[in-house]
Amino acid sequence: MITLVTGGSKCGKSSLAEKILDSVYTGGKFYIATMIPYGDDALDAVNRHRIMRDGKGFSTVEKYTDIHEISLAENCGILLECIGNLCANEMFCNEKICFPTEKIISGVKKLSQYAEHIVIVTNEVGCDGFDYTAETQLYIKAMAEINSGIAQFADNVIECVYGIPIILKGEIPC
Amino acid sequence: MILITGGAYQGKKNYAFRTFGCSENSVADGLVCSINDILNAECITNYHIFVKRMLEDNADIISVTKQLCTENFNAVVIMNEIGCGIVPLEKKDRIWREMTGKCGCIIAENSERVIRMINSVPVIIKGEL
Repeated sequence: MITLVTGGSKCGKSSLAEKILDSVYTGGKFYIATMIPYGDDALDAVNRHRIMRDGKGFSTVEKYTDIHEISLAENCGILLECIGNLCANEMFCNEKICFPTEKIISGVKKLSQYAEHIVIVTNEVGCDGFDYTAETQLYIKAMAEINSGIAQFADNVIECVYGIPIILKGEIPC
Repeated sequence: MILITGGAYQGKKNYAFRTFGCSENSVADGLVCSINDILNAECITNYHIFVKRMLEDNADIISVTKQLCTENFNAVVIMNEIGCGIVPLEKKDRIWREMTGKCGCIIAENSERVIRMINSVPVIIKGEL
């Protein structure tokens, strides 16, 4: 089963994602971390999420780009967090901007094949109405395309609003 | 407690006035009000701005929010959803955005009803209308 969890900043996406995986899956679980632990904010987030996952039996795989290269045991549980960082890493890691929409969607599809249940955490980034630089606009567009692409083959799509899960597709599997 | 959220200018305050009998006299506006106002008003608007002001004053906004939920538990709280954009460049804006998220989660958890306004349409996301 494939579940996509979306929402804004600090809306409880991670806790919901972990809760879903915890309640539907009892086997070996992998946490795929895409955030590069660089800078105070990132380190804070990494620590916060580590504490949250502590004792829940996750093996952490750090992969900042190229998630299609990951190879895992069959029928495992996967929490992929998050598409926002993955997309930024793919786009802006090289001198020239890359367009990672297809690469990320197919990477998620590939991971889904290993997983009995995969929960993917993404972000809503297009709803603040500000004008941004051309690069940032491209990022917002890529995120929208990737989220739409994953939502198409996901069984469940859930949006978090201030901690409240809203079903956009399927059901809340916990 | 009732939480009304949604993007800017989606009809949140009008809905609160129309549906829950709030009026300008009973409102504490987060743009200008004090902690004491928050703890006593029937309706609190712009709570996301209140969060920003408290952070500027180095107040412990998480504690104040918990206090609001225990002491003024019949209040109608209105706050914008502000986290669905790009991570802000300025650290203080990032902190505001994150703290607004955390405070919103606390208020939502303590609310019997949570309503999200979209184009003046109320969508109930917790409880029943």
